[in-house]
Amino acid sequence: MNTVIQTVGLHKNFGKVRALDGLDLDVRAGEIHGFLGPNGAGKSTTLRILLGLAKATSGSATVLGMDPWTQAVELHRRLAYVPGDVRLWPNLSGGETIDLLSRLRGGTADAAAYRRSKDRLCQAFDFDPAKKGRAYSKGNRQKVALIAALATDAELYLLDEPTSGLDPLMEEVFRRELLAVVERGATVLLSSHILTEVEVLCHRVSIIRAGRIVDGGTLDSLRHLTRTEISFAADGLDTASLARLGAVHDLTFDAGRVKFSAESDRVAEVLPALGALAVQGLTITPPSLEELFLRHYGDPAAGAESGARDDDGDHRHGARRHLLGARGRG
Amino acid sequence: MAVLMILWGQRLRRDRWQLLSWILGIGAFALFAASAVTQTYGNAASRAEILQVAIATPAILMLRGLPRGADQGAFTFFLVYAFLALLAGLMSTFLAVRHTRADEETGGAELVAATPAGRLLPTIATVLHGAAANVLAALAVFAGLAAQGLDLQGSLVAGAATGAVGLAFLGVGILVAQFISTSRGANGVSSALVVLAYVLRGIGDATGTPHADGTSMTEGAASWFSPIGWGQQTFAFSGNRAWPLLLPLGLGVACLGAAWAILGTRDSGASVWGARPGRLTARPGLRSPAALALRLQANSIIGWALGGLALGLLAGSLGKAIAAVDTPDTNITAVLRSILQSQGTSLTQLMVSVLFSMAGILAAACALQAVIRLRQEEAAGTAELLLAAPVGRMRWLAGYLVLGAAAVVLVIGLTAVGTWITLTGSGDQAMPADALWQTAVAQLPAALVYLAVPALVFVLWPAATIGVGWALLGLGVFLGIFGGMLGLDQSLRDLSPFTHTPVPHGNATDWSGAWWMLAIAVVAGALAVAAMRRREVGAA
Repeated sequence: MNTVIQTVGLHKNFGKVRALDGLDLDVRAGEIHGFLGPNGAGKSTTLRILLGLAKATSGSATVLGMDPWTQAVELHRRLAYVPGDVRLWPNLSGGETIDLLSRLRGGTADAAAYRRSKDRLCQAFDFDPAKKGRAYSKGNRQKVALIAALATDAELYLLDEPTSGLDPLMEEVFRRELLAVVERGATVLLSSHILTEVEVLCHRVSIIRAGRIVDGGTLDSLRHLTRTEISFAADGLDTASLARLGAVHDLTFDAGRVKFSAESDRVAEVLPALGALAVQGLTITPPSLEELFLRHYGDPAAGAESGARDDDGDHRHGARRHLLGARGRG
Repeated sequence: MAVLMILWGQRLRRDRWQLLSWILGIGAFALFAASAVTQTYGNAASRAEILQVAIATPAILMLRGLPRGADQGAFTFFLVYAFLALLAGLMSTFLAVRHTRADEETGGAELVAATPAGRLLPTIATVLHGAAANVLAALAVFAGLAAQGLDLQGSLVAGAATGAVGLAFLGVGILVAQFISTSRGANGVSSALVVLAYVLRGIGDATGTPHADGTSMTEGAASWFSPIGWGQQTFAFSGNRAWPLLLPLGLGVACLGAAWAILGTRDSGASVWGARPGRLTARPGLRSPAALALRLQANSIIGWALGGLALGLLAGSLGKAIAAVDTPDTNITAVLRSILQSQGTSLTQLMVSVLFSMAGILAAACALQAVIRLRQEEAAGTAELLLAAPVGRMRWLAGYLVLGAAAVVLVIGLTAVGTWITLTGSGDQAMPADALWQTAVAQLPAALVYLAVPALVFVLWPAATIGVGWALLGLGVFLGIFGGMLGLDQSLRDLSPFTHTPVPHGNATDWSGAWWMLAIAVVAGALAVAAMRRREVGAA
């Protein structure tokens, strides 16, 4: 079986709100598939349909060859899920919750192996399983769901923004564990709104916006989507001298600054030319998801504003990077 | 000062409906009790008769209070004071924890402490708020009693006694909140202390010494270990003593002083007793949705079951005591008969039936809570974790229904066991054992209706589960239990499941109502499980 997840023309309406609008998703066996989109684009709704927690208004979804709505229980024996916002039972300890979820998934038949795996993950994620559910911070709640998902083997991992709340050190641990899982032959659907996370991990990505897939493919084929912004002081430079820069896009003079963008994988080619020009106040801003959406799909805020259920932390994050870049020039 | 007022204003704003219902409820309780006394026991002779029954029945004294004469005011105080003090105590501990520990737990206290309000002022605002609430509760009791034409001074003393007990437990609640790290725990411990005060007072009153007049008593020593017992020592209407009020007020001040000392040294959000560490691994049995449901609800089910046991112990001991009085008060039996719509059973059987209908309500509430828990799990998002594992929606629902049914049987069963213990212990022959078991079984169908019908509501209209569930129970109790007393039309009373609970008497028992309700429960439960197959699961 080559295709693990396939949806065709998936629609989901909540009253008048159209959450999914003909979503076609295709995830192949053995890959880490990035599911990328702004908040409120329909990522969580899609995952809930793939889990059989919600029913598609129309269209079809097949997961591991099964219909998630009618064969949910059988399907869940073979997959693991990490929600975006993990809620725990306040009076159960983290260790108890991990045990319960692992047992329900039937992954504890080999008790010794399970215990080893759980202990190893608790250590790797620096997680204290003895605290009660109500006492954990957001990052630690996330760890409970991650450890429960990773402690027993599954064929498919559905991860809904799994690193939200984790610090960079833990994100690194998560990446390592995820690569190990794929090494074993499992498939991962990783929903995210953080481009760099997807870039590091994923073999292929699908970009969702307003309930439909707007672009997708291997990361290389999407490389044109990510451009790096470069700007520097315009003192004594003219258009002629800038012609030597070569493959640049959107070159502008604005408020004494030269600005342009270059394909992210070709930034290095531009640097010698910048060196030759001895530019001052150079800033190089890595691509952000907002820019990507702004550039290719029009209004970036449309998705974010309709997304009442998620926080918009990373949009601010992106905006802050711009500010830092702007300050750096002085 | 301005900041303190802002903090107090925020507390008033948060609590306005809740406190209003507590205070009006306490006042209404006093009013209705005084009015019932006027109507049912209008003359001193009938009151003296009841007091003789009470003095001969420790269970009644335990529940009610200390008889201090057959005067109308003193009689009302005997009947109602302990309940009023219990309510004021619970109102105060919940209020105290809500604005201290609960705020610290959710993080609201940290936001406030980071403003110029600081770490200490919020607790002062809570004390102010709680004191005001108790003054209002005292005035409500005064108004309720005085409105029925009782002596003004006595009414005032009764109100002050209620308010002073409330203030004592305001201090207790705030002190407990310093020690315990969770609001759930702090609420549990402090309200258990209120109940303990009630029970200690009850033991003291039940072990008291009757006076020669046959209508008054001197309390036993245990009453002096209870703030509720202290308030009772005011002897409102019969003695009107003010000095015993110094005891609960002193306790309140002492608790606040201790809390203040702890507050001065502890970190915001910390507690004297840290959170107990949880288990590193789950117990071997925690491997199914039903086991999780049991784990989550075990404490509350145990609470309901103990309530049933207590009712049963009371039920078995009452009948003989009442029958022992030469001229049984006709009003009591009339009221009991109007609740049960039944004639021709012995007084003991009647008492047992009435208290079993209370146990039936307990069991129904326990069943309803199982369904409400289901909805809370869904709304909190924890259900999603479970249902993303290989757990079917139908199995998830069915697990809660099975647990709810088992809890209903447990509550009723323990009530029966309690009754059986006191019946055989007192040598009461008026009720054969098989009649007792039949009475117990008769309560099951109505309680099961309150499991299955709310479950159907949960599946079809999830957001309404909690509201509709409690409304159905409230209406059922009102129409079924009080409908007869209030003289409501039979067609209205027939709407309540409790109306159809059979009252066993010999071979003439009509079980048709029970079978109908059982059928309704089974059909509604099956429909709920079947419809769950087609239902989405989510917080909406």
